[in-house]
Amino acid sequence: MTQPAAELIAVHKSYGAIRALEGVSLSLAQGEILALLGPNGAGKSTAVSLLTGLRPPDSGTVRLFGADPRQPATRAAIGVTPQDSGFPLGLTVAEVTRFVCRHYPNGEAPEALLDRFGLTALAKRRGGALSGGQRRMLSVALAFAGKPRAVFLDEPTTGIDIDVRRRLWDAVRAYRAQGGAVLLTTHYLEEADQLADRVAVIGHGRVIADGTTAAIRAQVGLRRVRLRTSEPLAVGPVARQSLEDGVHTLYTADSDALVRTLVTSGIAFHDLEILPATLEDAFLALTVRPGAAS
Amino acid sequence: MNLLPIYYRTQFTGLLRSPAFVAAVVALPSLIFLFVSGTARGDNNAIFASFTVFAALSVAFFQFGVGIAQDRDTPWERYRRVLPASALMPFAANVLVALTFAAISVGLLAIVASLTLPLTITWWNAARLALALVGGAIPMALLGIAIGYWVSARAALAVANVLYLALSFGGGIFVPPRALPGWLDAISTWLPTRRIVELAWAAVAGRPLQMEHWLLLAAYAVILAALALWGYRRDEGNRYS
Repeated sequence: MTQPAAELIAVHKSYGAIRALEGVSLSLAQGEILALLGPNGAGKSTAVSLLTGLRPPDSGTVRLFGADPRQPATRAAIGVTPQDSGFPLGLTVAEVTRFVCRHYPNGEAPEALLDRFGLTALAKRRGGALSGGQRRMLSVALAFAGKPRAVFLDEPTTGIDIDVRRRLWDAVRAYRAQGGAVLLTTHYLEEADQLADRVAVIGHGRVIADGTTAAIRAQVGLRRVRLRTSEPLAVGPVARQSLEDGVHTLYTADSDALVRTLVTSGIAFHDLEILPATLEDAFLALTVRPGAAS
Repeated sequence: MNLLPIYYRTQFTGLLRSPAFVAAVVALPSLIFLFVSGTARGDNNAIFASFTVFAALSVAFFQFGVGIAQDRDTPWERYRRVLPASALMPFAANVLVALTFAAISVGLLAIVASLTLPLTITWWNAARLALALVGGAIPMALLGIAIGYWVSARAALAVANVLYLALSFGGGIFVPPRALPGWLDAISTWLPTRRIVELAWAAVAGRPLQMEHWLLLAAYAVILAALALWGYRRDEGNRYS
């Protein structure tokens, strides 16, 4: 078995009274795209800050390619995007890029990096004069400055156009195809669904699910039955249901039984569809449950 | 791989393009000197020496104090800390950049002063003045760092300004100590700024730089270094990311 690109082993981390991580174990294999999901404050950012050497854990082990991420030399193998792309107002894109590239012994040439991410035209622009999408693009570009073996992309496509987003996804897939490992945090579950090989869900400082996207979806055990009808709809078995633009969506553990009930009830419906649960459904089911119980 | 040049260049460029910083650190000491020197009576060399202290201290308060408070929790700062560089690198660059800005600020002041006042300072005494300024700036830079870590970004500018002006005035930079009210002169004797000014006056007058002043400044440096380190640790532990 090859060495993991990054791993947390039984890691605890508290900030004062706040227990951010309570015994988290997580591993990112080489050549894998892992999406880290979880509501705000669940511990995602803490996990990333430990893996990128920003902080030490209170207990447990954090490793990057088998070494301690608190050592600067270890971090030469990775690339990171900042969560908020607040670049220094006074520095130009070219100056910021040169500054970052210079940190890596075998890094990219700043000009080549800007070119690869379509930023050459902005090279002389100051950080304060970039649009949100341009800042995001620059921060993703900077993650690749050191020809890294693993990258940590924090919300890489928040606030950028759909076509730019697709281009970025292609770049990430191409990187993975060359053996690079990617740890991705995102609010777009579609992004995780499209891009990730594996998904880990963090909630309340623990890993509550870890598996392939298909396995996570299946774990919820729900299917979506969608249909149109003008009549009131009260059939079972249904976990929950919603109505939007005349389309009813019923979440059910047993779609076969539900369809049989529908047909025998005599309700006039059309456009019937049976779909697997989305990652978003799974995510909601996984993360809302502990809160609802309390 | 030596990162110091790129850190130095990046930090220097960033500050140079900040109008508020350049105004406070480079322009203000010379400007106030122009207002005050025309009316001030006394030893011209000593008046100039006082203002060189004022100029050198502006860097300590504004680059370290305000700069650290404003930068310490920015996304860029957090990002910079995950880059593969020693944590000492930004600090070392900061010190070199501070020395550069202090040299620019004092240099501008020297040009303005030599054009408006008849100064008689030998090169040797100018070198001794530089020594007094660099030595005296160390405890003041540590005070700046302490402010940077203990005070919020919003309050830092006000705190730095008040301390900068109060310590400058109390130290006898604008008004010679004998012209201060008696109670203030009693306090002034124990202020670090007073000791730096005393060293600066001695330097330009060709008198020896007394050990007593250095010792008190060293004591301040130890206390303020502890305060700065405490603030840094507290900030590290507090930050939630």
